[in-house]
Order: sequence, then structure tokens, then C-alpha cells
Amino acid sequence: MENRFGVKDFFIVLLLICLIVLVVLGMTQYDRQYKHMLTIEAVQQEQTGDLAKIRRMLEQGGVSMGTREGTMQPGNKVLGDDWIQPKEDEFTRMKRVYAAKDFAQGDALIDTFGVVPDKLTPLISTDLYSAYVQGAVLDTLCVYDPDTLGWLPNLATAWRISPDQKTIDFKLRHGVTFSNGDEMTADDVVFTLEWTMNEKVEAPRARVSLDKLEKVEKLDDYAVRFVFKEPYFKSFETAASQQILSKKFYSKYSPTEFNRSVGLLLGSGPYRLADPTSWRPEPGKPVQLVRNERYWGDPAPALARMAWQVIENPSARLTSFKNGEIDLYTQPEAEQYLAVRDDPELGKRVQAFALDAPQTGYIYIGWNEKRDGKTTHFADARVRRALTMLIDRERLVRDIKHGLATVNSGPFFTLGVQADPAIKPTPYDPAGAMKLLEEAGYHKVNGILVGPDGQEFRFRLTYNAARDERKRICTYVQDALATVGIVCEPEAMEWSVMLKRITDRQIDAACMGWSATPIDDPKQIFDSSEIAGTGDNYISYSNPELDKTIDAAREIVDMKKAIPLWHKVHRIIHDDQPYTFLYQEKQLTLVNGRFRGDVATKKLGVSPSNEWYVPAALQKYKD
Amino acid sequence: MLTYITRRILLIFPTLLGMTALVFFVMGMAPGGIGGTMLDRFGNLKSEEAARVREYYQKRYGLDQPLIVQYGRWLNNISPVGTEEREDGTKRFGVKWPSLGESLEQHRPVSELMAERLPITLLLNFISLPLVYAIGVGSGVIAARHRGGWFDRITSTTQLAMWSLPTIWVGVMMIGFLANREYVKWFPTAGMHDMEAGNMLFLPSHDAAGWHLGYVLDGLWHIALPVVCLSLGSSAYLMKLTRGSMLENMGADYSRTARAKGLPERVVIYRHVFRNSLLALITQAATILPAMIGGAVVVESIFSIPGMGQLGVQAVQARDREVVLAVALVGGLIGLLSQLIRDILYAMADPRVSYD
Repeated sequence: MENRFGVKDFFIVLLLICLIVLVVLGMTQYDRQYKHMLTIEAVQQEQTGDLAKIRRMLEQGGVSMGTREGTMQPGNKVLGDDWIQPKEDEFTRMKRVYAAKDFAQGDALIDTFGVVPDKLTPLISTDLYSAYVQGAVLDTLCVYDPDTLGWLPNLATAWRISPDQKTIDFKLRHGVTFSNGDEMTADDVVFTLEWTMNEKVEAPRARVSLDKLEKVEKLDDYAVRFVFKEPYFKSFETAASQQILSKKFYSKYSPTEFNRSVGLLLGSGPYRLADPTSWRPEPGKPVQLVRNERYWGDPAPALARMAWQVIENPSARLTSFKNGEIDLYTQPEAEQYLAVRDDPELGKRVQAFALDAPQTGYIYIGWNEKRDGKTTHFADARVRRALTMLIDRERLVRDIKHGLATVNSGPFFTLGVQADPAIKPTPYDPAGAMKLLEEAGYHKVNGILVGPDGQEFRFRLTYNAARDERKRICTYVQDALATVGIVCEPEAMEWSVMLKRITDRQIDAACMGWSATPIDDPKQIFDSSEIAGTGDNYISYSNPELDKTIDAAREIVDMKKAIPLWHKVHRIIHDDQPYTFLYQEKQLTLVNGRFRGDVATKKLGVSPSNEWYVPAALQKYKD
Repeated sequence: MLTYITRRILLIFPTLLGMTALVFFVMGMAPGGIGGTMLDRFGNLKSEEAARVREYYQKRYGLDQPLIVQYGRWLNNISPVGTEEREDGTKRFGVKWPSLGESLEQHRPVSELMAERLPITLLLNFISLPLVYAIGVGSGVIAARHRGGWFDRITSTTQLAMWSLPTIWVGVMMIGFLANREYVKWFPTAGMHDMEAGNMLFLPSHDAAGWHLGYVLDGLWHIALPVVCLSLGSSAYLMKLTRGSMLENMGADYSRTARAKGLPERVVIYRHVFRNSLLALITQAATILPAMIGGAVVVESIFSIPGMGQLGVQAVQARDREVVLAVALVGGLIGLLSQLIRDILYAMADPRVSYD
């Protein structure tokens, strides 16, 4: 018989495969050990540095025990009247929460990501997920007060705005250290901004936000000055929300090395990466942060660890949440949220907090007033107002959003300072709408509304085909407008095609959403200078009065003084209805029930996790 | 035979070239163009700002060049001979390292992304493949031997169900019932390893607190459901195929002769019928492997195990030029190579087949 592959050969091959598998497993274990060793080595090095520092201090005659308490002092000098120096900061808020009887340090917060973040290096990472991680590791000069949306001191303790509104000075906190033990000074702030502005660093997005910044100067070791090219109402936010990087740590790298890096993340925040240089995205493994033992803040956050488990599939996320494997499920689907919220049995077992908070962005229908050089039906403000009155937005919220949205009356965040609380959304009123349309010269011919120029009122309503919800909105609008004889044809389009049509101004009306910040700049969307080219005023809406008011308001850095002007902007937009504002969605969050403290909805979503803790009896993860 | 193999290997290159060209130009000519969706995804950036960011990236990655130039550049990049830009900006022609370029979306070398993702997809497949063959072939042979018996009937029905159920549904159901505390919590819901895997011992261990899985078993435990999910369809298919092919050979003249000369049934089945039925199975191996790698896309996203499939889908959505091409290249290569191996195995298994 010829050579045949027999049973014996089969077992030899099998043995060989087993051997290879064993070798691979062995190498994997070696790798694990090696990584562990590197971490230990890094920690040891830091400790040696700390020991040397302590020894030096001892030799110089005594250790001042007050460094930690000293960190809370803003500096010895009494500051002048022009300095703003809030008495409260986030630590006073935390102390209030931590005074509870069952308060205990420890435990971890397990959040979820949809995908593994590509990079954690600040500035060059582009996804939202890495921003969450960076937020826990890096500190900013000031932080938002979640209750009032004002600014609380953080790395900065006091600030002042010059009378010409072009410079902002910050006093920095003394005794702040980065997680590797280096002290944070004005040099680090200046370095951060210079590094961001360096064209060689791949941070085009961060640079865009620093557009109006001219330079940053060091006044002394604990004071910096931001100089802006022109007065701009968001200047303070720009300066205050910069995440400060360590000069000593990051200046070791060239811009090219920095751009290529994946996990260079070191800051002065309450948490740190176990190894600040060698993090890599590992598919299927959670991103983890540990407590920064050198954290300068007092008190330090109660939770000892933060981790983000990667779960892509929404139903798997919900199962994980119900299993207690993840503690936080942000942005669940509305159905999932309601299922947890409205099931009392489930609520008892899972012990979940179901929280909702309004979002800053909004969904709207934009009416294009000019197409191919000719004015459209929508050029008449009365027609636009009538269209808004024909669309029952309360019903949209109820039927499409399960009530998890709020009807808005303008482009500003409903809970923000720019919005005028006196302006209520235009109510649903078909009869009133008909009256307005008749006033504008419309009448019915064969059941279809005809304008004063004899043109039938017929248009296409374009929406992003990938959004099922938009399709439902558009179908509803089609029905609602048909009752008075307006022909609206919903038109689904792929997103990139739709964007092209919008920049070419080749649409009649579009159902879209804008994301926004708590304090937003409406100029790009509603100013008439944005009609030309590819500006965002794709509906060719123009009102000189509005342009003037926006320009005036934008120049005032002190928000309090600008409020009447912003309210006027809101009023004009509400009267003109260039958009029909549909609603602001709610931000939904499910939180595991073992967390105590201030677990509640604030103006900008769920309260920050540094105001949470887990009583000792309920703790699940060890340090 | 050797000339045949050489010829086939040489043919791989023009095939891959044609394939990547097709992928590239279809992507480039689609509305939005290369990088389209990715360049438009700027969250809260207003259009003027977005335009500036877009301009930066277009310059950085040469997206403003004509398509043919872009494709030429890519070919130059992956070829081991070509021009290369030095650190100081000067160009040099000669032998160089082939490079898959840099992802437009993640700003990281594509080779690095592949090195992260490919092992996961391969791991899933290399565990599933033997399983598929063991279940498929094993149950196929038994079902054919006892045709019409209870085993045949039960497996036929269940395999039909396995073949028809969509993977995505099976996956979600498995998580919902087998990984859910409200039903049975036998398996984890997502990921490749436990939260605490970094501190685990390598092998299973036992101490005062009870048994600990260890790093290896923890990994296996995590990929158990995905592997089952991935193997369902293919194993059903193979079982049907084995059964059909076995039955065909059992009725053939040579088996009747074998039985007539008094050989025991076991010998007839395993030495004669089974060996001849192998031919059909070999042919299928070439289609099953690429299909499983493609099918892994669904499984990967349900169980949050980001492998190659997921990378490919995300890249296509973002029109991430370099990554799409690299995934197409690797996928194409795997497909073509498995076809080549099939042809070689075919010739080895069947002496009647010759390529000379």
C-alpha cells in the first residue's frame, strides 16, 4: 500500500499542535509576568524618588506636616477686589456628602464603553470614550458647578477678567502634584497651551477651540495670564476647561513621538493609569484606572478604582447591568430605561437608579428660505410660525420619545442662563395656524394649499436615513401638514449625501439635530454672514436685528452682564421661527443601587461620581 | 504539481491587485468619497471649524489627490520595492519595508491595529474549526450509518434549526438566558477576560476561598459562547454534507463488493466509504474558513470581542481607506490561500486528480 495518512500520523500531528499551543501559552504567561514586573519597577522608582525627597527634607531639618492641608490655601497674599475667589469648591461639596454616617472609602465604579478607545493620549485622541478616561486623570483650572452651572475653583483658586475683557488671570493652587510626584506650576499651564498650539502636534480639533487665544504668560510660579485676540464670551470657558499636562513628563517626547503614542496619560487628577506610558488598547479587556495616591485634593474621592468594560451590544449591556457586572449604563435605549424604571420587582432586585436629565443639543426642522436664488414658501415668518403650530410636538415627545424629551422654544439649553425662561414653546394650534396661512395669502385649491404667487405648497423634508426616529418624525409631520393641504414628502438620505446637499443648499427642509454646549454660540447657525459659502446657516435665514444682538452679546465675557442680550436673541429666534424646534432629548442613565451620596440628576446629567460612595457593607470590589 | 503550485501562487498577486483596486475605487467613488463619513463626524464642531479640521486631515493623508494617485501611493506603500520618504523629507528608491499605512480614523499604523485584532479572530476560528469538523463529521457519519434511526432524525431536525437560525438572534438569546442572573448565570456577557484577570494565576488553583479559574480557563470561559455561536451554522452544514456523501458512497458498487467479499460493516464504512466521502469535505474546508471569518463580524459585535471583522465593519462605515484595504487584503489572502490548500489536498486525497 502507498503512504497513507493513518491514525498514527493523525496523533503525531495532534501532538505537534498541542506542543505548539503549550509553547504559545507559556509565552503568554511570560508576557504577563514581564508586564507585571514593569509596573512594579515603575512604582518602585517613584517610591525611591519619594524616599529621596523625604530624606532631603529630613536633612534640611524637619518635615512640614502641613503639605496636604496647605494644598487648600490659595496663597498667603490677600487678593484685590477685582479677583473672583469663590468660597465653595468641589471639595466642600464632597465633604458635605462624605459626612454621612455610613460613609466608607473604597470599591470601584464599572462603566461601559461601546468600543475600546483607540488612544488615551490627550489632545490627539479623537473619540468620546478616551475623553471620559482623561477626565478622571487630568485636572482643569476650574470645573462646572453641577447645580448652578457656574464655575468652581479647581487647579485655579481665583481669577480676574481685565476691563477690556481680553485678558484673564488665574491664581494657581499651591502644593498640587502630578501623579508621579512632580509639582504643578504655571510652567505646566503655559506648556500645555503651547503644546496644543504646536502645529506639529496632531490636535487640529483642540486648536480650533483655541482660535481666539493669543498667548499664555507666566506671571509667577503660581499665576498665569491668558491673553485673547478679541473679547469673546466663551474665553473664560476656553481657559478654565483646559486639561493641564505635566511639562516635565510630556516635554520628554517630540511631537512625532507624541503623535504616535497610544497611552501617554499622566495628570494631577484623582485617578491614574497603573502605568502612564505603556497603555495599549487590548480588545476585550476593560480600561482601568487606579487611585492616585498622591492626589492633592482633600478629601480624595471615595471610590478607589474606575473601570470601563467594553460591551458593544445594547442587550448585552442591559444584561450585564442587571447582573451587576457593570455599575453604570449611560444612554440606554429608551425601552431598556423604561423597563428598568417601571418594573418594581426588577427595581428591588437590581436596586437601580434610573436618572434622566435634559441634553444641551436639540432636534429641529430647518425651513430653507431660498433655493436656487428664489425665495420659497418658508421665506414668510408667518408661514414658519404656522408650520410650528401645526406640529404637535408634545405628542411627538409622548409617542416617539416615550416622554423622555422636553419641547424647547429656542436654540439654547433650557436650563442654561442664555435661555429666557419666560419664552414658552409655541402651542399646538391648527386653527391659529390656518388663520396665519390665510393672512399670508394662502388658500385651498382642490384640497391643496396654494400660495399668493399661485404655487402649490409642496416640499421635500430630508432626513438622515440611518435614524429611525427621524423617519417617524417626518412621517408624522407629513400627516399633520396634510390636514391643512400642505404636501410634505419625506426623503431619506445617506448622511454624507445629505451633508453635501446641505452645503450646496439643495434642500427644501431638513429634520436634523444640533449638539450644543451649556453656553452656546448661535452665530454660526443663525447669523446672515453664515449664508454664503458652506456656513451653517443653510436655510438662508437673515435678520439684521438678530445679527447685531448676537455680535453685541458675544463680546461680553462676564455672562451675568450679557444675559439680557442673550434673552433678546432667544426672543427674536422664537418670533421668527427659522427652525421649528422639536425637542431636547433626555440623557438617560442607569446606576447600580449600591452607590450612596448625591446620586441624582443635575443640570448637566448625573452628578459627578466623586460625590458618590459605597457603604462598607455593600462594597463589592477590593482595592 | 510544483509548477502548478508556483503558478497558482503567482496568480494570487494579480487577483489581489484587482480586488483591492475594485474595493478602493468603489469606496472612492461612493457619495462622500474616501474618509467621507469619518471627516463629517465632528460632534459639536460647527461647519467652519469642521472644514478646517477636515482640511488638515486631507492634507495630512493626501485625500485631496486624485483617486488614481491615492491608489498608486497605496500600492507603493505595500510593495517591498518602491520610493520611500526619509525622516528629512527626501525620497529614495529601492528595497524597503512594506507598510499598510496609517488609519485615517484612529491615527495609528494599520499593522498595529491588525496585530491587535487578527489574533482574536484567528483564535476564535481555530477553536471553532476543529469543533465544527468534529461535530459535523462525527454526527454525519453516525446519522448515515443509522439512516432513518432516532439519531438521524433528531440530529437532522436540530441541525436544520441550527443552520436556519440567524447567528445574531442565537447570540442575543444566549446572553439573555445563559449569561443572565435572572435565568442562569453560567457564562460572562462580554469581553475576553474578567475584570480581575490581570491579577489571576495562570492555571486553575484552589485556596481557602474556593476554586479560582485562572487566566487560561477564564479566557476559555469567556469565548465559550462566541465559539458555540460561530460553529452552529457551519457544523450543521458539514453534518448534512457528510451524511449525504456517505449515503451516496454506501450505495456505490464498490461498497457492495466490499460487503459481498465478507468485510465487516465497520471496515466497509470507515476504510472505504468514509475515505471516499472525504473529498466533499475537503472542498468545503476552503469555503468554511473564509465564511467563518466573515461570520465572526456578527459574533464579535454581540459578544464585544473586537476582532478583525469588527475592525472591517467600522472601517467601511468611516470609509477609512487604509484599514478597509488592509482588511480586504488579508481577507482576500486567506480566501485565496485556503483555495490553494484545498486544491493541493484534493490532489493528495484523490490519486485520480492531477494538475500536470
